[in-house]
Amino acid sequence: MTPTDFLQQLQDSTLGVALSESIYMYPVVEGLHLISLVFSFGLILLTDLRLIGFFLPTVPVHDVLQKLRPWLIGGFVVTFITGFLLVFVNGPSLMNTWVFPLKLLLILIAGLNAVWFEIKFGRRVTEWGYHAKSPQGAKIAGWISLATWSLVVICGRLIPYLNGH
Amino acid sequence: MSTFPFFQALQNSEIAVSIGQSNHLYGVVAQVFHIAGMVLILAPVLLVNLRLLGAGLINQSVPQLVKATNPLIWAGLLFILFSGIFMVAPSAALYYPNPAFWLKFQLLALALIVQFTLYRKVTASEKPNRALAVITAVVSLALWFGVGIAGRAIGYVAA
Repeated sequence: MTPTDFLQQLQDSTLGVALSESIYMYPVVEGLHLISLVFSFGLILLTDLRLIGFFLPTVPVHDVLQKLRPWLIGGFVVTFITGFLLVFVNGPSLMNTWVFPLKLLLILIAGLNAVWFEIKFGRRVTEWGYHAKSPQGAKIAGWISLATWSLVVICGRLIPYLNGH
Repeated sequence: MSTFPFFQALQNSEIAVSIGQSNHLYGVVAQVFHIAGMVLILAPVLLVNLRLLGAGLINQSVPQLVKATNPLIWAGLLFILFSGIFMVAPSAALYYPNPAFWLKFQLLALALIVQFTLYRKVTASEKPNRALAVITAVVSLALWFGVGIAGRAIGYVAA
């Protein structure tokens, strides 16, 4: 089964049809996707800027990570669920251009980077987090996160613009 | 000059016409700067308002967070302003009858008024009045998120 076939199946499913037929559901889901993005991407952006050393350098990194985590993860849960619903509605037209596949690839890279950061640095953040300057690896992870998530959002914005919905 | 002729004049202006006829890529760049600006405004607004609600970075004072995030908000406002002009000017007459477009600017005006009066006053204090802090946070978040949602709705509301 090709990705296009799979997306067609999602669009033809009960959920896909119900979402498409409702006048209000699509804008509501997209509105929630946008608002939750401020929680997910917005707060991860501030966290990355702290890791890199551009933002709140006197605040311990673990303070930022721990205090923002519930909001950030809550934001990601809503962003992912609403994003999944948007895929149901848009269906195979998402394959019209390279933007959507690229977005998925970038999410994968951003996710792997987050896991790598957590294993390598996150677990012993209390040992290094007090310093304004993060270890080189943590700093690089911050830059990768900043770059990949920014590109994810840019790709997302370009989907309706380039694919025509 | 009433509003609609102004929008028509704007659309027919030399600069707007040259933007409209320019490469498709410029439109894409404007979109990217617009959403970057949105995040640069809303992420700091969210961080500070969460703090006013007693959540998020509670070990830092409100003025400390405001001081750290203000440059991001200003950068965001610049991004939004210039990309916004770039997006509206070539099709100003098309936006004119769109109710979501006007709602967005009404909400934006309110959000900016609150930002430079109530929000500025409340966040200047190390220990703001609890009730006032909560009200400020709720109003500020509702208005700023409203601007974003109304902006997205422009594309849905048939003119």
